[in-house]
Amino acid sequence: MAVFFENIGKYISRFNDAFVVTIELSIISLILATIIGIVVGLINTSKSKSIIMKILKFISNIYIVIIRGTPMLVQILIIYFGIAQVLRPTGFSWLRLGGTFGAGVVALSLNAGAYMAEIVRAGIEAVDIGQIEAARSLGLPYSKTMTKVVLPQALRTMLPSIINQFIISIKDTSLLSAIGLAELTNVGKTVASTWTSQTMSLFCLMALYYLVMCTVLAKVAKIVEKRLSYGR
Amino acid sequence: MEDNVKVSVQHLNKKFGQLEVLKDISVEIKEGEVICLIGPSGSGKSTFLRCLNRLEEITGGKVIIDGHDLTDEKLDINKVRENIGMVFQHFNLFPRMTVKENIMLAPVQLKKMTKEEAEQKALALLDRVGLKDKAETYPSQLSGGQKQRVAIARSLAMNPDIMLFDEPTSALDPEMVGEVLAVMKDLASQGMTMVVVTHEMGFAREVGSKVIFMDGGYIVEQGDPHEVINHPKQQRTIDFLNKVL
Repeated sequence: MAVFFENIGKYISRFNDAFVVTIELSIISLILATIIGIVVGLINTSKSKSIIMKILKFISNIYIVIIRGTPMLVQILIIYFGIAQVLRPTGFSWLRLGGTFGAGVVALSLNAGAYMAEIVRAGIEAVDIGQIEAARSLGLPYSKTMTKVVLPQALRTMLPSIINQFIISIKDTSLLSAIGLAELTNVGKTVASTWTSQTMSLFCLMALYYLVMCTVLAKVAKIVEKRLSYGR
Repeated sequence: MEDNVKVSVQHLNKKFGQLEVLKDISVEIKEGEVICLIGPSGSGKSTFLRCLNRLEEITGGKVIIDGHDLTDEKLDINKVRENIGMVFQHFNLFPRMTVKENIMLAPVQLKKMTKEEAEQKALALLDRVGLKDKAETYPSQLSGGQKQRVAIARSLAMNPDIMLFDEPTSALDPEMVGEVLAVMKDLASQGMTMVVVTHEMGFAREVGSKVIFMDGGYIVEQGDPHEVINHPKQQRTIDFLNKVL
């Protein structure tokens, strides 16, 4: 143990850099996933009978089925290697889109977005139909009924599930080590392979970074939840 | 059509899938009239009321409000709804807004009033229903009767000229029924056109200009409240009134 603490200083900056990469990856992806989730969730709860809406619903359902029905690691491989191979004739390369980081953001956002869409759909459907009827009877159009009445109520119900998804997605960033992205797990593995006498300590240190990230998020979420509890 | 006809329902028909819940309903409602709809549950009276602001899609026939044909596909239903207030059995107040915000929402969002005007209006309406001191309260802190009075104030915020009431006192404790009926009486006395689905025969008799008894999706009997309630002519009306009175 003493050996570990005497020498960890040499490696700690690599861990910290990877930690920053993981955080950046998580924040960007989760913002995009939230946007995807709201849009797809709204499409899936819409009662509109127009053709465009029906097509959009069909597409978003296929999207959710595919994401939920395949492992994230496979999705990452398809997005990074598969897309690159298929689009190579057009001159496409992930290098132009931020390399492994760009591919990681795409994979993570698409993956979390599908789950978020289901959370949003369930949250909207859980709002009492009487709320919608009251708003519509006042003359509010569908869009304003959603933004002013339904979504604020749905948000409170959705929040625990959203945070849960955030935590899952943060941990899923570790899968991006498979495409060589320099996030925590990848860097941890690299360091461990050169300092073989400290495998256990290094991996535990790596785990500690994730633990701190997820626990802080969960704590913040509890505070937000409390604040959103007014009017109950 | 006469000038003072507010609502004209012509051969209205409503089906839920195969189930026909309204059958060939025709009614005319004049300005300032208070129409009370009575009848057993499942008779179609709430569905009829909800067809008047198209909360239920109309399957057949016509509903004309102030000259606007609700079955017209090009009609902007939101504009028509601005002039029709609706009060629900379960209040349906917005739980995450204060009482004042509940009332201000529609006028502000629909750009009928500035925030300041809407606030003045909200306070005046709360005063009218006797709840001025509750402006900053959340609905969860109110009693049932207070909630329903706020709901009435909210539906009045857009200055509607027709008010629909869907069993407004059915979810209330008995001692709170009176305060809600008092507000409704006050509205009626000021000339509001009202359609009220109710089990309160006393209210129907005292305030109603006309009582309509519905059963099985049909209008069975209608007319002067005293006539219909005290001297019903149809056997089904007699049976129903015997049970409730």
